[in-house]
Amino acid sequence: MRAHEIYPNGGPRIGVYVCHCGFNIAGKVNVREVVEFAKTLPFVVVAREYKFMCSDPGQEMIREDVREHRLDRVVVAACSPSLHEATFRRALEQAGQNPFFFQMVNIREHVSWVTEDPREATEKAKALVAAAVRRVIFHEPLQRRRVPVKDRVLVVGGGIAGIHAALTLADAGKHVYLVEREPTIGGHMAMFDKTFPTLDCAACILTPKMSQVAAHPNITLWTYSEVIQVEGFVGNFRVRVRRKPRYVIEELCVGCLQCIDACVYKDARFPDEFNLGLGKRKPIYIPFPQATPRVVLIDPETCIWFKTGKCKQTCLEACERAAIDFKQQERIEEIEVGAIILATGFKTFDARRIPEYGYGKYPNVYTALEVERLVNASGPTGGEVRLRDGRIPKRVGIIHCVGSRDERFNRYCSRVCCMYSLKLAHLIKERTGAEVYNFYIDMRTPGKGYEEFYDRLLQEGVHFIRGRVAEVTDWAITPDEEGKLIIRVEDTLVGAVRRIPVDMVVLAVGLEPQPDADEVRRMFNISCSKEGFFLERHPKLAPVSTFTDGIFLAGACQGPKDIPDSVAQAGAAAAEALALIDKGFVELEPNTAYIVEALCSGCKTCIGLCPYNAISFDEARMIAVINEALCKGCGTCVAACPSGAARQHLFEDAQIFQEIEGVLAYV
Amino acid sequence: MASLEPRIHYEADLDPSFAREIIASSGSPSLMSCIQCGTCSSACPLSLYMDYTPRRIIAMVREGFKKEVLRSRTIWLCASCYACTVECPKQIRITDVMYALKRYAIREGVHPPRFPIPVLARLFYDTVRRRGRLTESWVVARLYLQTMPLRIPGMSTLGWKLLRRGRFPLLPEGIRDRRGLQRVLRVVERREVAR
Repeated sequence: MRAHEIYPNGGPRIGVYVCHCGFNIAGKVNVREVVEFAKTLPFVVVAREYKFMCSDPGQEMIREDVREHRLDRVVVAACSPSLHEATFRRALEQAGQNPFFFQMVNIREHVSWVTEDPREATEKAKALVAAAVRRVIFHEPLQRRRVPVKDRVLVVGGGIAGIHAALTLADAGKHVYLVEREPTIGGHMAMFDKTFPTLDCAACILTPKMSQVAAHPNITLWTYSEVIQVEGFVGNFRVRVRRKPRYVIEELCVGCLQCIDACVYKDARFPDEFNLGLGKRKPIYIPFPQATPRVVLIDPETCIWFKTGKCKQTCLEACERAAIDFKQQERIEEIEVGAIILATGFKTFDARRIPEYGYGKYPNVYTALEVERLVNASGPTGGEVRLRDGRIPKRVGIIHCVGSRDERFNRYCSRVCCMYSLKLAHLIKERTGAEVYNFYIDMRTPGKGYEEFYDRLLQEGVHFIRGRVAEVTDWAITPDEEGKLIIRVEDTLVGAVRRIPVDMVVLAVGLEPQPDADEVRRMFNISCSKEGFFLERHPKLAPVSTFTDGIFLAGACQGPKDIPDSVAQAGAAAAEALALIDKGFVELEPNTAYIVEALCSGCKTCIGLCPYNAISFDEARMIAVINEALCKGCGTCVAACPSGAARQHLFEDAQIFQEIEGVLAYV
Repeated sequence: MASLEPRIHYEADLDPSFAREIIASSGSPSLMSCIQCGTCSSACPLSLYMDYTPRRIIAMVREGFKKEVLRSRTIWLCASCYACTVECPKQIRITDVMYALKRYAIREGVHPPRFPIPVLARLFYDTVRRRGRLTESWVVARLYLQTMPLRIPGMSTLGWKLLRRGRFPLLPEGIRDRRGLQRVLRVVERREVAR
């Protein structure tokens, strides 16, 4: 159908606006020529150019023309619609027009930035403008859908980022579900002794926040629990959480720990996860004294009752509150929330992947996280830095960039290792008086007070050798190397290779995405960056949002981060979530699919294909029915429908064919 | 007092296209992403004998210190063990860079005088090119004559033993279709010259 057949009385009145975007577009595209060309297109009443269409005067130009020239269609040729489509639709709305009588042409990302030749760029811009003009004729007035949002937020991950986000939202009066996989909240920060650069005691600043979480009336804390299913969309997520059995009734246990004393195992003999195997625990245990909630749990892998069914069950007798329940089953909780904050954190690089450093081969090679536990006052050695054989090291080498800045493992800089290595160097020197060597490629200490801390370490006499270590070996060449670990490195500032014998090697392992980050990403329907960290919507202007509305990011799950940055990001994510749910409703794009009932043959092809379960089958009328509230406008059903009954607003056949013909007619 | 020699390098003495040439002939564009961490030098079993460590060679290539690099002993000491290449965090093919530098030095004729390794390389190739097979006795004899004739008497006992056990053939070995091999090698050589 041709346009003049639909509009016998004069037809639509179109305005075309071409943006210079400073030199971004005008540096390549002859804007003047595009405007003159647009004036020749059918139904175009006015065509103009402007330096910055998105600026207030640019928008005012559109509003004035709509009023003055009675425009009922607008085309803007500028940047990407993901940047400014909303801006121009709003301008149209302000001028009293339906905002969907609008089409945007991307002549920046699609033309000027990617085309070498100015001539070709101008021609391509003209073709795309011609296409948009033909398309916009067939646009229809549409209404945005308003959907109420649930007033609650789910926070996944109970590290410092999750704790801070949860407390911020709870203090604002919103109900928060905080789900943590481990038996206690606290995350990695709970494992640290001191924090850089101020050397604040980590426990002193973290544990008050942990107990606040446990006591807050607006927080439902589920530890030892995992999210297993997420459905719905922004404002209306339905989430299922699996609560693993800890064989102790959380509501009854008061954390007196008498059951642990009473356990038939008189000595703790099983590797303790919280201390990375450096300490021992019993089958019934509490991860660490300040664990929150202060509730014990039983590990069925090591408990005699679970393994053999034969045990005196002395723990059961010792518990005065009858909190131990060997028959406890896992529970599935279902909740509805308006927004989700992911704060699932990181894991450290597995140092075994670099065999040259001998981790797992030489007992005196440690990872930095293990040393954090050694220097921790509540750690397995009570804060004394002792090797596995009980000796106190006299010389310690800290190797930086283990698994980071390396094409074979992770290309990125893990950001925190330089600073935590400095902190560990200080603590080791303070506790043992050892000579401490740092082997670094580049010292990266950007941050408030960070460079000053580096300077302090220099003055304390810690050795800094610029060079990446090639090898840690126990093969001695000189007598003073006997019985030691020898670090072979080029001192690049001196320009010579050195062999440095030490008693203890600390590997400053980098930060990596959680091993199951990809499954979590699929479950929450968000994206990952190349390294596997969750991808933010925009690295600068939307750093805590994701491409899925209503799901926000906080902390190291988005990329390596130290504590101040994690807390700042958690606050930002809480504010974004609050802004979303406090409004009470969300507006959804009207780009939904619909079924032309007369055409639907009831073949059900679309129903199985819909990724959002938005299509159901009406048995009475034998046709498919789309729930507009669930439809995300992906277009799968439209492409699959054999009878052309499934259609989509803003992507009507007529619109797309006219757009194609517009390009072809010009070319 | 020893005389002072200026250690300054003027831009006019450097060759700005050197890095590009070496990247092309070594096939290792990652050379430009070197972060000077020194892993190559500390992994290298021979770096302790080198005048410049491998790390410094990479830095000098990148900055165009052509004269210094081509005259250094480092490139000739490289034993092609590939330890540096395996451990390099930026996956620079350092051994291949060393080969590219050796080829360059031979072409320019600037290798250290009487240094046996470049002579051996040339003798090896000449022999294989002409006869299609390596006859070790001939190559070794010519190498000693050209680079260290005074050490021949000292080696004669070993030579005699090898000769008696048939490890040191007197007659040069060869393949049947030498012409065919030479045709193939000429194509390769032309390409090398074109580079």
